Formats: sequence, structure tokens, C-alpha cells
Amino acid sequence: MALATETAAPGLLQRLATMANNLVKVTTTKAPIGQTPRQAIWTLNKATLYRYTPVVPAEQRHPVPLLLVFALMNKSTIMDLRPGNSFVEYMLQKGYDLYLLDWGVPGPEDSQNSLGDYALEYLPRAIRKLKTVSGSETFNLLGWCIGAMLSTLYASLRPAEGLRSLVLLTAPLDFTDKEKIPLASMASEAHFDVDRVLQANGNMPAALIDYGAKMLKPVENFAGSYTRLLDNLDNDKIVDSWHAMNTWVSDAIPLPGAAFRQFIVDFYRGNKLVKGTLVVRGEKVDLGQLKANVLDVIGEDDHITPPCQSENILEKLGSTDKQILRVPGGHIGLMAGSAAAKGTWPKIEAWLAQRSS
Amino acid sequence: MSQDREATRRFDLFKKMGALRDALGTDLAKVVTAATSTGVYQRVNALVAGPILLASALLREKREAAMSDLLGQLNMPSREDVLTLSQRLTRIEMTLDDLGAGMDQMQRRTVSRPQRSSSREANPRDASPVDGRQSGVLSALAPAAPKSKEA
Repeated sequence: MALATETAAPGLLQRLATMANNLVKVTTTKAPIGQTPRQAIWTLNKATLYRYTPVVPAEQRHPVPLLLVFALMNKSTIMDLRPGNSFVEYMLQKGYDLYLLDWGVPGPEDSQNSLGDYALEYLPRAIRKLKTVSGSETFNLLGWCIGAMLSTLYASLRPAEGLRSLVLLTAPLDFTDKEKIPLASMASEAHFDVDRVLQANGNMPAALIDYGAKMLKPVENFAGSYTRLLDNLDNDKIVDSWHAMNTWVSDAIPLPGAAFRQFIVDFYRGNKLVKGTLVVRGEKVDLGQLKANVLDVIGEDDHITPPCQSENILEKLGSTDKQILRVPGGHIGLMAGSAAAKGTWPKIEAWLAQRSS
Repeated sequence: MSQDREATRRFDLFKKMGALRDALGTDLAKVVTAATSTGVYQRVNALVAGPILLASALLREKREAAMSDLLGQLNMPSREDVLTLSQRLTRIEMTLDDLGAGMDQMQRRTVSRPQRSSSREANPRDASPVDGRQSGVLSALAPAAPKSKEA
């Protein structure tokens, strides 16, 4: 009896100490995310173009560079969450010359920036710089969420600028089936006065965006996430993973007012892109003009951008090489979840590899 | 032996409690998600948020007007002035970016062909990162025409 207590006690104490340490860590610190070495090669206002330090010799690399574009309202560090669970790291190891366009954190002076400004002022200039540094006249583009929307606008309006292949991740493009889009009801005219929100705040505050997204699954987001943490508090690996994701989730950024208004009015309410009536900076967007190869990646469990928002979009594109890839996972989990490294990433990489030589 | 049995029993109890909690959580999640997806909830949300937003907007206007008056009296630039200046700086930054790219294109044209090809052949994809304003090749990609914002 005494022997059993003596052997059990140190184990129990050690476990309790681990739990206490982990609890302190997740509540008082931010996890180190976005750690892969990179250099800033171009800036414009708040936007920065980074080139990741290649890990594969030049002669073994794919000749066509790849540009990553994330959404406007969250940090792009989700692409490079942590060593061992980083899409950036994975693609570097596969021999890609990798670039990331980070939009930065908009201030009050950016409240007039529209989606058109980002798609036609910032993105083309960043791409021009990418071409200079890479020495390649063609490039591939991977856009995620609103980044996919901006990439689609760019690819449709500037089809002859060297874009070879376009990967769209959870792209919110088609708003036809509003019944299946949970955010559509929240964003409707009857329930949401976008002008009043912007009048009060200038930009769309990060906290409101976060609240809106979390209210789509309130119990899971406000309680479930923490329950999972408490259940695994003695497991360093799970805690580190949770900590990294929580650091990213809680570091949301505001969305420029004009861009947010356009997103709500022209996309959620007007569905103008699919209807062919969208005008961006005086230019009409015609999806038929998009000629690049397209891979449309859909998260089967995505409740923020459900599959109906992009599964029918391929019919409207002018591309001849276009494909849908359905993967398990939600809006973020499909690329940053624990299964992404064995599921989504290899499939995207395999598709891109065939179109990067 | 009896200790082992006791430990197993306790373990099972915790497991069962956890399973019960998860089951309740799942049911609760379904109920709450269903409730927050209804039009009634959305309308109530809008009704609650409306006055708050209106008050915030009015407060913001008043605060900015007061601050503007104060800064004017102190002969200092207002918030509006600073914002306008910042936007102008961004436009200047864009122009400089285009100028830099254009100059680089001209420079490339004037550089002798053997020198250029040898430097490019050395290691085209290991080119050192350079500052955006100092270099840049104007590719076929021309930035958008002067701003003409849609309504």
C-alpha cells in the first residue's frame, strides 16, 4: 500500500505540475507562430511582400514561384502556424520559391480602401516585385478566404499578366443559395446596418468580425474549445497546438470600412460577381476572362464559407484546366488542422507541381 | 488488487462523466446554433445593436468635432488632416513604386546583353531581395489606371 502511494504520488504531482504550467502558458503568453525565416522584399502602405528563404537548392526548385494571399481580417501567420504544422514549411521543402503577401493591420486612414484597391493596386504591384526577384514572368497564386476572392478579381481583370495557376481555398464567391450560407442571414439588410456600423467605427472592428464568426457555432467556439484544452492540459503536444491556434484566432485585425461594405453589399446581398454585374474601380468583372488553371478547394465542414459558395463557380470561369478538390475540415482546419499535412497539403502540392515547371 | 479495481472504477467514472458532458454539450450546441440562426434572434440582435451603434456614431462625431475645435485653437492639424495626409502619402508611395519599376526597366534596357544574361544565368532565383523603391522590373503587368472609385 505504502509502496503504491509512493510510486503514484510523483507521477500525479508531475502531471499536476505539467497541467499548471500549461495553464499558465496558455493564459499568459502568446505562442510563437509564423517562425519560418523570410525577408521583406516590398512594402506599400501596410502591405508587405515576403519571400521565404528557400531550403532546396535552386536547381531543384520549381521554376514558377508561388504567391500566397490570405484574408484581410486575420493575420497571414495561419499559413505558417508552427514548425511541423506549417503549410509554408511544407511547400518550401517541396521546392517552391515561396512568397507571401501580408496585408498588414489597417488604420483609420485605410477605411476608404476597397476590395478593388487591394486587387488592382496592391496585388499587381506585389506581383511585379515578385517577378523581379524571382526572375520568372509567370507565377502561381494561392488565395484563401477573402484572399481567394481578391485573387479571383485580379485573375479575372488581369488575365494576361503571367498568372499560370490559381488555387482557391474556401473562396466566398457565390451567394446564390443564401439559405445555406449562415452568415448571409446575419448580413442581410433586415438584420445588419452596415453603414451605421462603419459610421460608428470607420473600419469593421476585429472584435465584431470575431463575434459574428463565433456566433455561427456559439457553444463550440465559446465553450467547446476550452473544454478540449482542459481535457488535454497534461498533454504538451495538444496544448502547444491549441496555444498556437488560439494565439492566431485571438489576433484578428479590423477590415477596412469600404472593403467590408463592398463585401456585404455587393457580394452577400447583391451576389454581383456571379451575376456578372460587379464593377471594381470602374472595371466590370467577367469571370469568363479568368483563363488560368484553377483548383477550387472546398472544406466539406466549412460553416463560414459553405461548399455552395464555390462549388458551382467553375462553370463560369474561362479556364480549360479547372478542378474541384473536396477535403474534410472546416474553414481553417482544412489547412491548419492536424490532418492537413497528410490530406490537403499533398493534394494541393501535387496539383501545383504539375503546373509549376 | 483492490486498489487497482478502485482506480479503474474511478477512471471509468471520470470517463462516463466526460462522455455525459460531451453529449450534453453536443445537444446544447445544436439547440443554441438553431436558436441563433433564426430570424427572431437576428432581429433581436439588430434591435439591441441599433441604438448602441447610433449612440457610438453620435459620440464619435461629437468627440471628433470637439477634438477638431481644440486642435484648431491650438493651431494643430486635425485628425482629418492627418488622415488625408496619410492617404496622400500612400498615393505618393504607389507613384514612387511605379517610378522605381519604370526606371529599373529603362536600366535593364540600357545594360549590355552579355552582362545581363550572365548575371541572370548565375542564379536567377537567388536574386538578393531588394527594397521596393530601389528596384523593380516593369513587367507586362501595369498597375491599375488612376483611381476612379465606384459608388
